[in-house]
Amino acid sequence: METKSFPGTVDSLDSIREYAGQVANEVGLSKKPTYALKLAVDEIATNIILYGFERVGMEGTIEMSSEVVDGKLMLVIEDAAAPFDPLARELPNEEDLTQTLEEREIGGLGIFLTINGVDEFRYEFKDGKNRNIFVMNLE
Amino acid sequence: MEVTIKDFDEITILEVKGNIDSKTAPEFERNAKLATDKSEKIGLELSQVEFMSSAGLRVLLMIYRNIKAQNGRVVLIGVSEEIQDVMSTTGFINFFTIVETLDEALTVLKQA
Repeated sequence: METKSFPGTVDSLDSIREYAGQVANEVGLSKKPTYALKLAVDEIATNIILYGFERVGMEGTIEMSSEVVDGKLMLVIEDAAAPFDPLARELPNEEDLTQTLEEREIGGLGIFLTINGVDEFRYEFKDGKNRNIFVMNLE
Repeated sequence: MEVTIKDFDEITILEVKGNIDSKTAPEFERNAKLATDKSEKIGLELSQVEFMSSAGLRVLLMIYRNIKAQNGRVVLIGVSEEIQDVMSTTGFINFFTIVETLDEALTVLKQA
């Protein structure tokens, strides 16, 4: 499927989710996995935009591509911001997620939802770019 | 995304239409704060919200804390199955009352 490039700003989030939705549609994902993929993509793209670009005053783009390999959809987001591995930070655990909302720390929920929503999530830094890879099993 | 604030006596209904993401969450938060500042009984009508990211969960958390601090009550209305799934995964669902219609919400909030 074709590669698309989006300006690295929050104004692009609608189109970024739409791309994920179209790809999910083309490979026949059902409603719930499609939503989970859109959510995962939104969360990771948001981190890239807010922390990779905006916080350091950098202008950049978000490149999206996708392919089907061995019965799995691989959706890839690439950016040229500073290396950032979403998996390096500590995720909320069972205890955190059952805490009352008064006491709860809100950090890390986006990445938790990403990992929880896709069948596999991978990160690599390659050729000077962050590559976030979202894998969805096809039926 | 559009947010409309409607008052029903001492109850304030916050009606959201559209997607809640990092672009729109600040506007949602600003309106939610206006609502919780003037009322301790809040209904959040989400039946026209198709998508909500963790940025929206942060605003729900803020609403919950503001209302809890006033011993008030918050009810969510018409939450999609997908958003309920996200609230369930993150443990948020246990802290909110969810109803189907505005009328049900008004009944619950009047009794609160």
